[in-house]
Amino acid sequence: MESNPLHPFELHPYGSLSLFGLDISPNKAVVMMWIIIVLASSLLIIAARQQRIVPTRLQSLAEILVEFIRNMIMDTMGEKGMKFFPFVATLFVFILFCNILGLIPGSYTVTSQIVVTAAFALFVYSMSIVVGFVLHGIKFLGILMPAGTPVLLLPLMVPIELVSQLARPLSLAVRLFANMTAGHTILAVLFGMVVSIPLIAAPLAVKIGLLILMVVLVVGRRRVIAATGTWGLVGMCILIPVILTVIWSRWLPFAFSIAINGLEVGIAFIQAYIFTILTCVYLGDAITLHGHAEGAH
Amino acid sequence: MPQFDTQFFSSLLFWEWVSFGILLLILYKYAFPWILENLDARERKIRETIEAAERQRAEAERRMAEYDAKMRSAQKEAEEMIAQAKVRAQQMMEENERRMSAEAERIKANAAREIEQERRTALEEVRRYAGELGLRVAERVLERSLTDADHKRLADEALTAVAKDFEKS
Repeated sequence: MESNPLHPFELHPYGSLSLFGLDISPNKAVVMMWIIIVLASSLLIIAARQQRIVPTRLQSLAEILVEFIRNMIMDTMGEKGMKFFPFVATLFVFILFCNILGLIPGSYTVTSQIVVTAAFALFVYSMSIVVGFVLHGIKFLGILMPAGTPVLLLPLMVPIELVSQLARPLSLAVRLFANMTAGHTILAVLFGMVVSIPLIAAPLAVKIGLLILMVVLVVGRRRVIAATGTWGLVGMCILIPVILTVIWSRWLPFAFSIAINGLEVGIAFIQAYIFTILTCVYLGDAITLHGHAEGAH
Repeated sequence: MPQFDTQFFSSLLFWEWVSFGILLLILYKYAFPWILENLDARERKIRETIEAAERQRAEAERRMAEYDAKMRSAQKEAEEMIAQAKVRAQQMMEENERRMSAEAERIKANAAREIEQERRTALEEVRRYAGELGLRVAERVLERSLTDADHKRLADEALTAVAKDFEKS
């Protein structure tokens, strides 16, 4: 086991491949993307082909997914936004599969690569700008002036809005990348502790056992012996260090890693959701020109 | 951090867009339309079913009300019929009674008339018989000394006397 918790994010090219002088050698992340295409498309196609009125489980799942994204679009963009449904839904599915499959030990989390999240974020943001200008022309610049701003405040508001606009793709990219990276780093650190802790745990536990013995002897030997018997006292001084050694050894970080893994599953869903809903919000802003929507930062 | 290693950027970006594009194409062509259609179909089906159920319920309620009204009118009719029957039975009983008593009266009157007639006949008989008897007695007494005219006169006298006595008694 490597001691560097960032080790799981390292990539190594599998062979070398280039297209028009561009290096496109596959690596672990690329292989994960291939797996995701195959898995996501086959699951959804199988689900889509089961056209039953009373749905099967897989069908239900796919329908919940579609309904979920449709509601998301309806809430933020309205009926007009359904043009973007395929894009938004694919984005959600892709990111969700990246996040979730990355949790499988030995796999790779594609979304922990900043270049991947940044590409999506920039694309989404530029798309919202293009849509805005196509739909509203030069009036789209009004997005920099929230409705009802007094004229006097405009010199202040426009730069603020400009910064908030520019922060959108940045925050979108960094949020997903940072969440995925942090979760995996924590897991790596915990697993590292599983290896390293027993080295210090046993001597520490013995010292604590001696400390208890001393305290008992100084404070109230008679009372303790009366309560536990002589063997009870001896047992206490042996048992407690043993228990502490066991607890402080690999079990505690291991138990933590299980809990964190559960948390990571939740985060995988939530981050995919956040990325998608913000995509919808930005596109919705561009379509409806309502200035900034809530939760956009 | 390994993620900032620019060596892999070109490969990652290229494959990201290729994968995303392929996935988008596949899902756009073969998955989303079916699922969306599925959802719409179910929605339609549920709405239709609910509407049909609503209609049937209204129909059932209407029929129920109809039957109720029919039932009530039938009951009323039956009650009327019973009341009429009672009245008629009463009338018939009274009629019968009246007829029977009239009949009885008539029979009684007949009987009285017959008795009266019998009495007259008997009286006549008695009178005749008494006349003859008197005549025979007188013949024995007088032994043919009287003429037929005398006979008749004596008989009449005797008869009148007897009749007078009889009427007095």
